[in-house]
Amino acid sequence: MIRLRNLSKDYERRKILRGIDLQVDAGEFVFLTGPSGAGKTTLLRLLYAAESPSAGEVWVAGRRLDELPRAQLPLLRRKIGVIFQDFKLLRRKNVLENITFALRIHGVAPREAQRRALQVLKRLGLHHRQTALPDALSGGEQQRVAIARALAYQPRLILADEPTGNLDADLASELLSLLCDINYQGATVLVATHDHALLESLPARTLVLHHGQIHYDGMWPP
Amino acid sequence: MIRHALAEGWLLLRQRGAVSVVLALALAVPISLAGVGLSLHRWLGPVAAMSGQASVVAVLLHPRLDGEQRSNWISEEAKAHPEWVITEISREDLVERLERWFPYLEELVAGGDASLPPLVEIETTEPAGVAVLEGRSEVLAVGPRSSVQQLLGRVARGLAWVLAAMSGVLLTAAVLLASVWVHLELFRHADEISIMRLVGATEPTIRGPFLVAVAIPGAVAGGLSIVGSIVTVAGLSRLSTTLGLPAVTSGFEILALQAGAGLLLPLAAAAITLARHAADEFEG
Repeated sequence: MIRLRNLSKDYERRKILRGIDLQVDAGEFVFLTGPSGAGKTTLLRLLYAAESPSAGEVWVAGRRLDELPRAQLPLLRRKIGVIFQDFKLLRRKNVLENITFALRIHGVAPREAQRRALQVLKRLGLHHRQTALPDALSGGEQQRVAIARALAYQPRLILADEPTGNLDADLASELLSLLCDINYQGATVLVATHDHALLESLPARTLVLHHGQIHYDGMWPP
Repeated sequence: MIRHALAEGWLLLRQRGAVSVVLALALAVPISLAGVGLSLHRWLGPVAAMSGQASVVAVLLHPRLDGEQRSNWISEEAKAHPEWVITEISREDLVERLERWFPYLEELVAGGDASLPPLVEIETTEPAGVAVLEGRSEVLAVGPRSSVQQLLGRVARGLAWVLAAMSGVLLTAAVLLASVWVHLELFRHADEISIMRLVGATEPTIRGPFLVAVAIPGAVAGGLSIVGSIVTVAGLSRLSTTLGLPAVTSGFEILALQAGAGLLLPLAAAAITLARHAADEFEG
């Protein structure tokens, strides 16, 4: 599902990622961890083509992203559900509309989009806030809306950037269980986190990123 | 996708209803004035065409020339100036003209044919060129060489060009206004557009609502500019007919141009700005 070959990313001569080689197979559940500034978010941004690599290759769902024609990028992104660290919610749309809008973009009929959105909102305990605008929600609620949007269209790959950063322990556990369910149904899940409690709650393949390089790739706890 | 573009575009418009109305009005003003300018340009067309019309210069020949000498002189001048049409005015015609124009010269006219100098008329598009005849021994005098018609025509032509240039400047102002408007709207929604791209929206899905949101006020601006120019042209027409001049009319092609400008200028500005925005995003 994901293949990186000698991947490097520089920002103004500062090396963020250095010669990363990685393979994540379809259906895997992988944690990506490391200290702040290790390059976790940059690596995720490269995977959904929000950034271009400085060197090396990025392959996602069988397509090489740095050579992907611009017109095909939306089609690839529809296979990826991204849970953004800063939520990236549409401010003028309410909770339900934020999710149905994403589903409508993916070609889901309006009625079905509404049904699926309500289903995922209920699962995340947000159905009572469906008419609220993002600015009226707490950080945790906004994060759950972002999660709901990423999960609603049942993507083949889920990239989550610090998805539990604003959630309490119960909600974090509920989210993990949701991600496990989706993974069980066949989706590949890559979760970037520095939450050790989260890492220890689920034995899974873990990549430890340090100074832009993968220092550990194996099961966690070791 | 069209339904999505219409629904989202309408939502964008509703959120900025008052601003959209003001912008439509602001766009309608220069387009309307450009339409009035083009109508006046068209109205001045026939008068401007007079600047190239031929005019007649009267030339009095010396009375000592007999008929044969006059004929020789006329044929030589016609050969030297093929663009001139030289006509000799008969004595009877000359007498009749003098009696009509200068009744107080009754004695001179009654004095007999011999005292009257022969008159020829030269029809030319370049009356000033007839001045070459001045000082010739055969020529007694050359009449006025300035043509009121040509002068009027030149003034009208100049005015028509000024109006056309002014219309061009006004349309350019409309283009700038439309692009600034669209640019600001896109700047306001830049985050939203980025999010749409990240969740997999195609470019037509992203651009459609914005195109609808500018096309509707643009069409309103086109309609308002048509109403504005029709009212202004009707006022000018009343003024011109009061002065005994032909009526000023707008013309279908000018009204169609206004409608097209109202609709297409903001659309083109939006399409260009959205394409640039997409290119920046992709490179970023």
